[in-house]
Amino acid sequence: MELQVSDIEIVLGDQLVLQRVSIIVKPGEFVGIIGPNGSGKSTLLKCIYRVLLPSRGVVLLSGYPLSAMSLRQSAQCMAVVAQHNVASFDFTVQEIVLLGRSAHKKMMERDHAGDYAIVRECLDKVGLAAFADRSFSTLSGGEQQRVMLARALAQKTSCLILDEPTNHLDIKYQLQLMDIVKTSHLTVLAAMHDLNIAAMYCDKLFAMEDGKIVGSGTPEQLLTPDFIRMLYGVTAKIVKDADTGKISIIYQAGAV
Amino acid sequence: MKPTLLQSKPVSLLTGLLLLIALILSLLIGVTMGSVHIAAADVYNVILQHFSWYEVQPLGVERAVYDIVWLLRMPRLVLAAAVGMGLAVCGAVMQAIMKNPLADPYILGISSGASLGAALAILCGVGTAFGANYIGICAFGGAFIMALAVLVIAGHGGESHPVKLLLTGMALGSVSSAFSSFIVYISNDIDGIQRVTYWLMGSLAGANWKSLTVIFPVVLGAVMFFWSQSRILNLMLMGDETAVTLGTNLHHYRQAYLVVCALVVGFVVYAAGMIGFVGLLIPHIVRMLFGTDHNKLIPLCALVGAVFLIWADVLCRIILPKTELPIGVLIALVGAPFFVYLMTRKVYHFGSRT
Repeated sequence: MELQVSDIEIVLGDQLVLQRVSIIVKPGEFVGIIGPNGSGKSTLLKCIYRVLLPSRGVVLLSGYPLSAMSLRQSAQCMAVVAQHNVASFDFTVQEIVLLGRSAHKKMMERDHAGDYAIVRECLDKVGLAAFADRSFSTLSGGEQQRVMLARALAQKTSCLILDEPTNHLDIKYQLQLMDIVKTSHLTVLAAMHDLNIAAMYCDKLFAMEDGKIVGSGTPEQLLTPDFIRMLYGVTAKIVKDADTGKISIIYQAGAV
Repeated sequence: MKPTLLQSKPVSLLTGLLLLIALILSLLIGVTMGSVHIAAADVYNVILQHFSWYEVQPLGVERAVYDIVWLLRMPRLVLAAAVGMGLAVCGAVMQAIMKNPLADPYILGISSGASLGAALAILCGVGTAFGANYIGICAFGGAFIMALAVLVIAGHGGESHPVKLLLTGMALGSVSSAFSSFIVYISNDIDGIQRVTYWLMGSLAGANWKSLTVIFPVVLGAVMFFWSQSRILNLMLMGDETAVTLGTNLHHYRQAYLVVCALVVGFVVYAAGMIGFVGLLIPHIVRMLFGTDHNKLIPLCALVGAVFLIWADVLCRIILPKTELPIGVLIALVGAPFFVYLMTRKVYHFGSRT
């Protein structure tokens, strides 16, 4: 499923938070959005997953405007893993993942065996099959985030939006989570903090600053030392791994 | 923490069944208890008279016994069940709507609205035209109008978020409390002031079959309705943003649920005054034992609430010789320590764990 954002603008108060932002994610692509804190990454994603209403511009899912779809319809096409969120009140893991089936349910319809099968399959995919009956609040941060991913997968959508999904996770869980997403072969749009993780997994990157898109391209094209200095104000050098062909960013201390 | 045995599915089904049996037994045992001693055989004879398939026993029961059993005890027990059910379920729903474990059915100024209605009726004679239970009717009006006012004001200029609803309820609650205090202050009617105080403590003594034919269906209907809404209630605890990404805008649901709750609470207030603590206590106890999923929580709350209030009322009637303990007093005295005991014994975070 193709996700297209064209000329989105957002005005909060008298401040222009997003300025004519346009991005396109082709079917099956893994696209990252990078940029410093406050550059508007999360705001852009919130426009896409319909928590914020853009003041101008449209978001198209497979060429169909989001504003013309019901929330139910869009939740059947697009699932979201937001920044690490703590659920209040104590649910079991299974109950939380089951809520991912909401968009496929009618008002009074109850959950049936098919839903439970999907829940099991998704928990299996994130490696938490044994945790179905555990209480969510007793899980570690990494496990909780994987539950959130399982819930998004249970929506059975073709498009996945991730808002800094690896925040607060240690490196093992970061890689584990990104691997699960990558191997699910969905159309993915992710806001990313860590440039090395972004370079490893993304097919394409968009860079944001002050609510504008300031660059785009493959990780190798976009992430040059000059561009990183321009975007983040830090000095870094780029090393290309001979085996994988992936680039890594090495930051220099004391060079801010 | 491993899930306790109580949280697994077949066990909660069984628990529901056991609670249903407990409810029926409570009604049958409760009706034999009271300040006047009546033989159990006579009690059941009176009750069975009301079923067409039963042939009335020739041992004629006295008129007084009939009145006590069928016109005083039975409606009172049924009312206790309805009130307990209504308050417990509305408490659970309010906690979901507000996403706040401290919410109870009377939050959002509903209690202040009801008190203002009652104070106006008792001290100013408002609504005497409504007949014998004009105080209840005014309290119902106060509660219901208050809930609607909170909804309308909090919904003004954007969608009503839980915090906005809560603050609006507090503000309007303070205004109507101030009015109540003012009325009490300028009134010279000592007897009336005492009646307001007594009324605020809640009592099931006014039960009668006529009002029950309305209240019981309303409460039962609301319980069934909320049970059918368990997925939305679960989503409410996830928060508005998550709910949107899962395909549901909670705004309209929240409003609809508040109106249904206000209706139920209004009827409860009409029939029994203010009975505090049940609506806060029962949902937490059930949640501690059986988990948060509303698909289990709603029916179990209804049953536990009903059984709890039946026994609380029976105790109120028999614990002091020749007089009745106000039910609100008893519930706080017995319920609060039990609640604290459960809280310290089990890992339960009220959702405040981060």
